[in-house]
Amino acid sequence: MDFLNLLARLATLDTEAPATAAPRRAALSRLGQVGTALLPALLAALPAPALAGTKETRTRLDVLKLALKLELLENEFYSRALGLTPGGPTNPAAFFVTTANRAAIQTIQSHEAQHVALFTRLITDAGSPLDAVPNFDFTGSKNGTQPALYPDVYTNLDTFLKVAQLLEDAGVRAYKGQVEFIQTDNYTLEAALRTHSTEARHAAHIRTMRRQRGANVKSWVSPADAPITTAGTVPDAVYSTESNTTQYIVRNSVITKVPFDSSLPINVGTPPLSAAAILAKVAEAFDEPVEAATAEALLQLFTY
Amino acid sequence: MSDSVSTSFLGRTLRRRSFLRVAGATAASSALVLAGCGDDTPTPVVNTTSSLVFANSDLGVLNFAYLLEQLEAAFYQKVVDNFPSDFTAEDKAACIDLRDHEVIHREFLKYALASNAYDVSLSTPLIFNFSSFTLTTRAGVYAAARTLEDVGVAAYNGAGKLLTDPAYLKLLAKLASVEARHAAFVREQVQPGSFAASDVITATGPLAGLDTVKTPAEVAVLIAPFVPVPLVTDGLMTLS
Repeated sequence: MDFLNLLARLATLDTEAPATAAPRRAALSRLGQVGTALLPALLAALPAPALAGTKETRTRLDVLKLALKLELLENEFYSRALGLTPGGPTNPAAFFVTTANRAAIQTIQSHEAQHVALFTRLITDAGSPLDAVPNFDFTGSKNGTQPALYPDVYTNLDTFLKVAQLLEDAGVRAYKGQVEFIQTDNYTLEAALRTHSTEARHAAHIRTMRRQRGANVKSWVSPADAPITTAGTVPDAVYSTESNTTQYIVRNSVITKVPFDSSLPINVGTPPLSAAAILAKVAEAFDEPVEAATAEALLQLFTY
Repeated sequence: MSDSVSTSFLGRTLRRRSFLRVAGATAASSALVLAGCGDDTPTPVVNTTSSLVFANSDLGVLNFAYLLEQLEAAFYQKVVDNFPSDFTAEDKAACIDLRDHEVIHREFLKYALASNAYDVSLSTPLIFNFSSFTLTTRAGVYAAARTLEDVGVAAYNGAGKLLTDPAYLKLLAKLASVEARHAAFVREQVQPGSFAASDVITATGPLAGLDTVKTPAEVAVLIAPFVPVPLVTDGLMTLS
């Protein structure tokens, strides 16, 4: 199976590699013009190309602990909004404007609390002590030690729903990034997949709620969504690779790029879509994973 | 590479036996030819006019997913071909998105399966039967979509542990959460607040908070009304 695993790894290599390699090459070709004195600074500023050797490897316990951190964060985020724990809106009953909004958040919060219980149990059953629960600050100011990213998260429902979308979309991507590390444990794998699709339902509904309030956003992650993050920031990592339209598969034993941009008969509308528009649909049709480090960086924004 | 598609000796024997059992009189002669050809690569799905037999391998699982995506794509195509009169512009745009996603999933899996796709040598594709649905009203379309999307989510949740190749697991997970987004959306159109209701998310017990999971055999029963041939999932059911 080693050779197969290698192929599988190659097939799932970070598909951003060509994109990140290209600016490096371009920069190196410019070196002749700027002189070698700038070399270290120039190279340091460039993203390192993703290589097979940099792929993360994680244990079942690593996976469970990341899952618990995500669920603790989400549970506390919604619990504060609902007034179940301190630190939320001054008047939680009025914050959600409609009873339907509030009921939806109650449904989601109850699932997050159940996920906390599940992953707590699995970690404890594995004989591991639980990590200390961090403090949370959903304005992103780390208890006032840095400028707040979302100062009105509990006074403005639209900001709250933006942060909710960010956390739910991130959760979907984080679980997806972890499934390969628990593949040999059927119970944990199935529990993670079932959590993953629950989070995807939450994410879709938060997006539906935002759209009902006038936001330009689909229930699935789309390049057509109005951005809710700023390029280059930590939150943007939740969306920066989600527009990927390149998938690789092992086909007849050969690693092959799926030809969405050429021969696949996917453009079936009348009239057909433009090349860009059909690729946007391809981006929507695949949710992409993120590695644990990306999920951890996002968690760090809201904890201290 | 034959390891990726082949199975244990026992598994292969079971597959062939189940094939012979279900192949039916009309296909008996070709069945004997296939079973006796001695090819090292097992056929992932045996298709006859009388049944679809899914093999106990990753390719059997992928073919099962392929069938589900074909079913969903055909459903939304039917909706798009003849929108209900009470559909809004937003409904139409959403169903075109859903149709496009499912067509993309279908063609993606077909491309991945290549010569192993169950219908590669079929003279005419399967014609799915949606006559049990009411597709002339908005409510009917979304109720039907809810049924199909919830089955899809449950099927993907059940398929994960059947796969051997981690690359396939990752790829199916990329599709699974999109299906869950679809399910949440269409459920909301049927009944506001039902995006993750207790009929799909386990409400109590040690697995509370988890979405639905179904085995291939359970899924086969649920989609049987729409598929024109019996589905034989015995091989998939031996996987774990």
